[in-house]
Amino acid sequence: MPEISEVPELDPKIMRKTKPGLKRLFLTHSVLFSFLLGFPFLWKSVEIYRSPLPFREIDSLSTHLRSNTLLFPLHFHAIFIGFDSDADRLRYSILSEISKLTSQNLKCFNNYSLSVTVDSGSRCLRAPITSPHSCPYQCGSITAIDFDPVDDVAVDERLGSVFGRKIKEYSVVVVKGENERAVVGKYRHAWMVVGGGMEVEMAAMKVAEVLVKVFVNGGREEGSIRTEFMPVGADGNIVLSFNLLNADPRDWVYDWDFQKIDETLLAPMIGALGPVANISVESQVLYHTPKASFSYWNQKLESHVFSTKDLPFFVNSNEWHLDTSIAAGGRSKILQFVVYVPSAKECPLLLQLPNGEISKTNGFISPMWGGVMVWNPQSCLKNSENKTTARHAIPLQDLENMFEVFIGQFRQLFGFRSVNVYAGGSGIWNLVPSERGFTEWELDVLSRQHTCFNLHSCATTLASLSRLVQSLPRMIIMDEIGKQVKYSLEAAKLAQSNASIGGYGFSTTSSRQARSLAEDAFFHPSIMSVSYYSFEHCFAVYSPFFLPVSMHVVLAALRELKRYKQEKAKYLAWKAKANASS
Amino acid sequence: MATFINSKTIFRLLVLPCLLLYSSIAHNSSSVEATMHTNNWAVLVCTSRFWFNYRHMANTLSLYRTVKRLGIPDERIILMLADDMACNTRNKYPAQVFNNENHRLNLYGDNVEVDYRGYEVTVENFLRVLTGRHETSVPRSKRLLSDEGSHILLYMTGHGGDEFLKFQDSEELQSHDLADAVKQMKEKLRFKELLIMVDTCQAATLFNQLQSPGVLAIGSSMRGENSYSHHLDSDVGVSVVDRFTYYTLAFFERLNIYDNASLSSLFSSYNPSMLMSTAYCRRDLYQRRLEEVPVTNFFGSVMETIHTDAAYKALSRKDSGRFKAQMSLDQSVHHHERRTLINVNDQDEILNTKAEDQQGASTCPFTSFYEKLRKGENVDSLVNYGLVAMLPLLGVSSWLFQ
Repeated sequence: MPEISEVPELDPKIMRKTKPGLKRLFLTHSVLFSFLLGFPFLWKSVEIYRSPLPFREIDSLSTHLRSNTLLFPLHFHAIFIGFDSDADRLRYSILSEISKLTSQNLKCFNNYSLSVTVDSGSRCLRAPITSPHSCPYQCGSITAIDFDPVDDVAVDERLGSVFGRKIKEYSVVVVKGENERAVVGKYRHAWMVVGGGMEVEMAAMKVAEVLVKVFVNGGREEGSIRTEFMPVGADGNIVLSFNLLNADPRDWVYDWDFQKIDETLLAPMIGALGPVANISVESQVLYHTPKASFSYWNQKLESHVFSTKDLPFFVNSNEWHLDTSIAAGGRSKILQFVVYVPSAKECPLLLQLPNGEISKTNGFISPMWGGVMVWNPQSCLKNSENKTTARHAIPLQDLENMFEVFIGQFRQLFGFRSVNVYAGGSGIWNLVPSERGFTEWELDVLSRQHTCFNLHSCATTLASLSRLVQSLPRMIIMDEIGKQVKYSLEAAKLAQSNASIGGYGFSTTSSRQARSLAEDAFFHPSIMSVSYYSFEHCFAVYSPFFLPVSMHVVLAALRELKRYKQEKAKYLAWKAKANASS
Repeated sequence: MATFINSKTIFRLLVLPCLLLYSSIAHNSSSVEATMHTNNWAVLVCTSRFWFNYRHMANTLSLYRTVKRLGIPDERIILMLADDMACNTRNKYPAQVFNNENHRLNLYGDNVEVDYRGYEVTVENFLRVLTGRHETSVPRSKRLLSDEGSHILLYMTGHGGDEFLKFQDSEELQSHDLADAVKQMKEKLRFKELLIMVDTCQAATLFNQLQSPGVLAIGSSMRGENSYSHHLDSDVGVSVVDRFTYYTLAFFERLNIYDNASLSSLFSSYNPSMLMSTAYCRRDLYQRRLEEVPVTNFFGSVMETIHTDAAYKALSRKDSGRFKAQMSLDQSVHHHERRTLINVNDQDEILNTKAEDQQGASTCPFTSFYEKLRKGENVDSLVNYGLVAMLPLLGVSSWLFQ
C-alpha cells in the first residue's frame, strides 16, 4: 500500500487500534491453572500407601545370622572327687576331647567354657583359678558317701541341692567308689562312680562325651528323626488332639477320664515346654472307626498281628475324623494322638516288629502328624460273647501307661529317645527321667534348637518379604504389616541378646514371637498379586477422565496465548505507526 | 470344546507387567537338603460354571474320589467347584453326578466336602489357597496347610487357552499368576514336590512360566490343540467326562493304595490317538526320575511311620522313686524301605521341545519387533512406549476436531 496520506492508515490485517482484551486469555488460563492446581491433589489421592519397612534392619538381621553364628554360652564344670591329679592337665585333656567331638558344623554354634575342680579331700584345685562365672560348688560339700549306688533319684536331688537347680551350668561329678555307675540327672548334672583302677584320662574322655553328646546334643541319634522337622506351628502354637477310637461300638464302648490325665500328667509337661511352644490340649471319643490295614491271626501268640509294613496304611483317613479342631488357628500345628481300641474280631491286636518280636508300646509315630497306639481291652482276652454294650472306662493304670507311651511319642516327635539309657562311644549312661516329660537339660537343648530355628526362619521370611516389597513399587503395604515387621525385628533382637547371656526361656519365647510376627506379615491377606494397583492400571482408569479434557484445555490456552500475542503485535504496530506519523 | 482365542492384548499388557516384576523376587537359597516326605495334599479345581460344563465338575469329582480312595483324607483335600451340577434344575438325576453313561458310580454320593463352591471359586481365592494368604477368619478346612515335607497334587479343569485358564466365565488365571504363586509357595517351603495336572484346551501353555524346582506339570494338550470330551450321556444330555481325565481314571481304577505303579507308567498310558490331543509333561524342574516315583506319592497318601520303641517311664514311678535301666537299645527305628517300582513301559518322552525355527535372517525391522512382541520380551518398555505414543495421537486428534 502506497503511503500518501499523513494520517496513519489502518490495515486491519496487521494492525488494530484498541488494546487486545485480556478476558479470553484470562478465562482459558484460569481453567488451565485450576487444572494444574488440581493435579497435585489428584496425584496425592491416587498415591499408594506404603508403610515404611525397615529394609536395612532386615538385611542386617539376616547377614548377622548368616555370618555370626548364634552364640549360646555354655558353662561346663567337671568335678573330680577323691582324685589327686593336676586340674590344669585334666582341663586340657577334656577340652581336646570336646573339640574332637564337636567337629560337625552347625547353624547355631555354642561357645563353651570349661572349669575343672579336683577335690582330693585335703586340698581343692581349680582350673582356671579365676572362673569367669560364679562357681557355686564348695569343695567338700559332696563326698563319696553321697553316691548311693541304688537310689539314683536321691543322688540326683542331693546334687541338685548342692549345685542349685536353676544354675545354667552343666556339671559332671566323677567320684571313686566300688560299683561303677554313670548317671545323667534330670537337672543339669551327671555323675559317674568309677573304680579305683580307672585311669583319669579315660574318665576325662567320658566326661567330654557326656558334655557334648548328652548335654549339648540331647543324646539324639543321627537319623532317627530329622531335626529340621519342628512340630511347632508357625504361630508358635501346638494343639495336642487326643482321640479315643472305638473301632466297633457294637462290641464295646470305652471312655476315658481325660480331665484327670490332663491335669496330672499333661499339665506339667505343657508347663515345662512353655517357652518352646504354646500348647493346648483337646480330646474326643469317636465311634465306628475301623483301621485301614489288615491283620492276621497268629496261633502262637494267640492274637491278631499287624506288622510294621502295614503301618503306613493303618490310619484310616476316611473314617477317622481327627482334624476337627476349631480351637486351632490357621497356622498352628495339630498333633494327633490316637488310641485305637480294636473290635472284638481283631482283639487282641499286636504290632510285630521285623525281627519277630512284639512291640512293647504297640504304637508308632508319623513325623509332623502325631502318634497312634493300639490298646487292647482286658475283656477281649476273656469270652467276648457276653455282649455288654455298657460304656466301660479305661482303667486308670492302663490310662497312665497309655499316656507314658504318648509322652514317649511326643518326645520322639521332638527328636528325643525315651529309653532311659544313652550308649555312647565310651560307655553307657543311665538317664534319670523327669516327671515333667522333659528333663532340664533336654529343655535346654530344645530351647537352643528352637531359638536358632526360629531366628533363621524369621530372618528368611522377612528377607523374602522385603524382596517382594521392593520389587513391587505399586504394592500397598498396610500399617499393620509395618508394625508386625517392626515388632518381629525387635523380638528377634531381644532373642539374640537373651541368647548371648544364656537366658534360654526368654530367648526362645521372643524368637517364637519374632517368627510368628514375621509369618503374619508375610502372609498378610492384603498382599495379593491380583489386587496390586499398578501404574498402568492407574493410567488406564484416569486417562479417559482427564486426558481428552486436558488436551482441549491446554490447546485452548495455547491458542488464546497465541491470539493475544498476535493482537498485541498488531496493536503495537499501529501504535508505532501512529507515533511515527505524529 | 471351544478354543478361546487368546485375548491377551491390551488387558494383559496393562495388568501383567507387575507380575513379571514380581517373579523376579524369590531367588531363594532354600536349602535343597532332602527333607522327608511326610504328607500329601490335593487341590482340585473345577473352574467353569453352567450346565453344559457338567463334565468339568464330573472330572474334578472323579479325581476327588480317586485321591480319597487312595488315602488322602478330606481335611487335606481342597475341593473347588464353580457350580453345583447335582442340584441344577436341568439335572434329570437330582443330587447325583455321573462320569459315565453307564451310571454305575454316583460321584456325588456320601462324604463329599466341597471347600469352595460357586462364586467362591475365583482367581483370587485360588491364589490365596496356594499362597496361604487368608483372612484370619478362614477355617482350617479351607486352607492349604502344607509344609516342607508335603507333596501336593494340583488338578485343574475348565476352559483354557494360550497361557490362561478361564475362571467362572468372567476372569482368567494367567500362566504368570500360576508361576508366581508356585514360586511364593516354594519360597515359604509350602511343598516338597508339586504335581500340576491340567485338563483344558492348550493346557501345556499354562506351564510356560513355571520356574520353581520340584514342580512336575502335565497337561492334556499342547499349544493349539483342543482337549475333547470323551462321550455324551444321552440321559443327562451333556458330555460327562473329558478324555484326558477319563484315561487317567481308567489308569487309577486298576490301582489300590498298596500298588506302586510309577508316574512314568501313568504318563505313558496316555495315548495321543485316544486323547485326540498330545499330553504334555514338563519335567525339567523335577529332580527325581519318574520311573522311581510311585503315583501314590501324589495321588494317595502313604504315611511315613516310625515305630515307638519305648514309653517314657517317669510318671508311674513317682511313688517308687527308683528306676532300673532298660537295656532295650535295639535300634527299632524302621523307615519303610521304598518298594521297588514297576516300570510298565519304557520312558515315553512326550516332551516336544522343538526349538522354534528361528527367522533370524529377517532384515525387516518390523519382523524383529514382531518377534519380540510375540516372545513377550520387555513387555514393560513396550507398554511405556505405547502410553507415550498415545499422547501425540490424542493431541493430534483433539487438534483436528477442534
